[in-house]
Amino acid sequence: MDGLSYALTALTTPTIVLSAAGGVLWGILGGALPGLSPSIAMALVLPFTFDMSPLAAIIMLTSVYIGAEYGGSIPAILIRTPGTNAAAATVIDGYTLHQQGRGGEALGLSLVAGTIAGLVGLICLVFLTKPLAMVALYFTPPAYFALAFLGLSIIAALSEGSLIKGLIMGVIGLMLAMVGTDPLSGAPRFTFGEPDLLGGIDYIFVMLGVFAVAELMNKVATPDDGAGGVIKNTVTRMRLPGLRKMWELRRAQTIGTGLGIIEGPIPGAGGTVAAFLSYNEAKRWSKTPEKFGHGSEEGVVAPEAANNAVTSSALIPTLSFGIPGSNSMAILLGGLLIHGIQPGPMLLSNRPDLVYGLFGGLFMANIFMLILGMLVLTPCIWLVNRPKPYLTACIMMVVLSGIYSINQSLFDFWIVLVAGVVGYVMRRLEFPVLPLILGIVLGYMIESSYRRSLLLTNGDHIVFLQNPLSLGLLCCAALIIGLAAYAEVRKARKPQDMHG
Amino acid sequence: MRATFIVSCLLFLLAVAYWLGADQISVSRLAGGVGADGMPKLLAVALGVLSLALATQTFFQMRAGKLAAPADPVKEGDEPTNWHQHARAMGLIVLGGFYILLLPHLGYMLSSMLMLGGVSFYAGLKPSLRMLVFAVIGGVVYYLIFTRILGIPLPSGFWPRLF
Repeated sequence: MDGLSYALTALTTPTIVLSAAGGVLWGILGGALPGLSPSIAMALVLPFTFDMSPLAAIIMLTSVYIGAEYGGSIPAILIRTPGTNAAAATVIDGYTLHQQGRGGEALGLSLVAGTIAGLVGLICLVFLTKPLAMVALYFTPPAYFALAFLGLSIIAALSEGSLIKGLIMGVIGLMLAMVGTDPLSGAPRFTFGEPDLLGGIDYIFVMLGVFAVAELMNKVATPDDGAGGVIKNTVTRMRLPGLRKMWELRRAQTIGTGLGIIEGPIPGAGGTVAAFLSYNEAKRWSKTPEKFGHGSEEGVVAPEAANNAVTSSALIPTLSFGIPGSNSMAILLGGLLIHGIQPGPMLLSNRPDLVYGLFGGLFMANIFMLILGMLVLTPCIWLVNRPKPYLTACIMMVVLSGIYSINQSLFDFWIVLVAGVVGYVMRRLEFPVLPLILGIVLGYMIESSYRRSLLLTNGDHIVFLQNPLSLGLLCCAALIIGLAAYAEVRKARKPQDMHG
Repeated sequence: MRATFIVSCLLFLLAVAYWLGADQISVSRLAGGVGADGMPKLLAVALGVLSLALATQTFFQMRAGKLAAPADPVKEGDEPTNWHQHARAMGLIVLGGFYILLLPHLGYMLSSMLMLGGVSFYAGLKPSLRMLVFAVIGGVVYYLIFTRILGIPLPSGFWPRLF
């Protein structure tokens, strides 16, 4: 009961309510700006929290994180540019729905799915902190390798009809991830003597190139249809889904929320892997899998539920062990330490006011996300319905400004422009670009965990089969690849059977 | 179909070049059983095999005269179909290149104004006072958002030398 009273105190303290509202609004805007990741949005707000009470400061930082993870879906749906890494999976069906004039519906679905997932994730944070924290401890290098391999196996589902093309793009993504300093020995690889490449190629640049710049290239190449480039028959308002609609989409919502909660506590996995896994699983369990990639509502709900559920469960290792699983959590950890709060197993018993107050603040932040999202989305839809020349110029400037704000390096611009050309060419040749993103995102994790595992056993690959978690994940990956290959063979045989 | 065949051959050449590049990586004893070159070489082999498989598949499809089903979610009417349209698309990259070259010299605000005006003109807007106002106000708004509100140190160009 003490916990509930701490949470209620937080819910009724005006400064804390304002911190949550301000944090969510800032987060949504930060997440919606491509290049401004949730961690950068949090870092920008960190100096303003120095004079706040510890609880208000922590609630503001977590609210920014929640808002930013949601905000990434807005440009993903409206302009085919994921604002955050985790929103990359939302592009597939979200943008297609927008092209079909259903952008308002897609935004409403992502908002409601994200809010529900965030609240369910919060309940899990309250009740499952201890057991989920233990799951994170079981993740040794072989299990990380198996998790990354499972992530890569989704390429089979993202290949849009040609498994070979999907695999090629996945391999190219992994090749790009090899650029930079070797994670174990520190040897430079494929840097061509360029110091800017020593840190590797940040995947946000590749994403901005293959999604945003390639889309803009496509826009300027397309002759004007007389409508000024405005999508016809589009709604100009955000549409919230009704209860019946959400009930119809319950399967995708459950899959996304569940996978998000499980992935959140695993350091390094994060919302991106959770979103892609959820998309794949939602497609597998859907009654209408053929709609995926062509404007499926489930294709929006599952990844959005996943990356918003992660925002709650990612707090588990940070609060329980002081282990930040992502850049955003490292900023939060910094905020905790600045205010003299030492995270760890004793945090709940030493500072119950702070922990339960935080739970209350997170509840508020999710509610504010729904309210502020409703207020922000309609102007966003209005903005993207402006005539094509204005819109193209504004998006190009947002992308270019966002790139520079990451590292303040002119070299990064060239990476994005080259990625844009590659994305445009690949799109024309019907090569799927999502496997490329998945390859870059998982490249570091798959290589470093694979080599670390072999270091532990002097090169014996049996280590991947001895660890039960690793074995289970590898079996899941084998199943996904096997089913995709079977489907490909069946599809190839069908026309022959028909002719025969 | 022919373009896919050519690209798959180019990808095979990329795989060979990647292998040669991986062969140049210095391998340390600290790297363990699989050296720094291990994964890149594996990927080069994978890309080589896959590109050959795609080339073979495309070759047989070309011979059989099969047509691949379009997998692009973009509306068919929006597809650029000729080289003129591809050249227009590449023009945007050229504009981006100019922006990168001008940014350190002209500063963020002025370069942004030029970029907004240039891209809107390139995307089909006729030169007018309205376009000028759009570029100037847009440049100021972007400057205020990124430099003043977000505090990102964007290039100031020659302006500090004047004042």
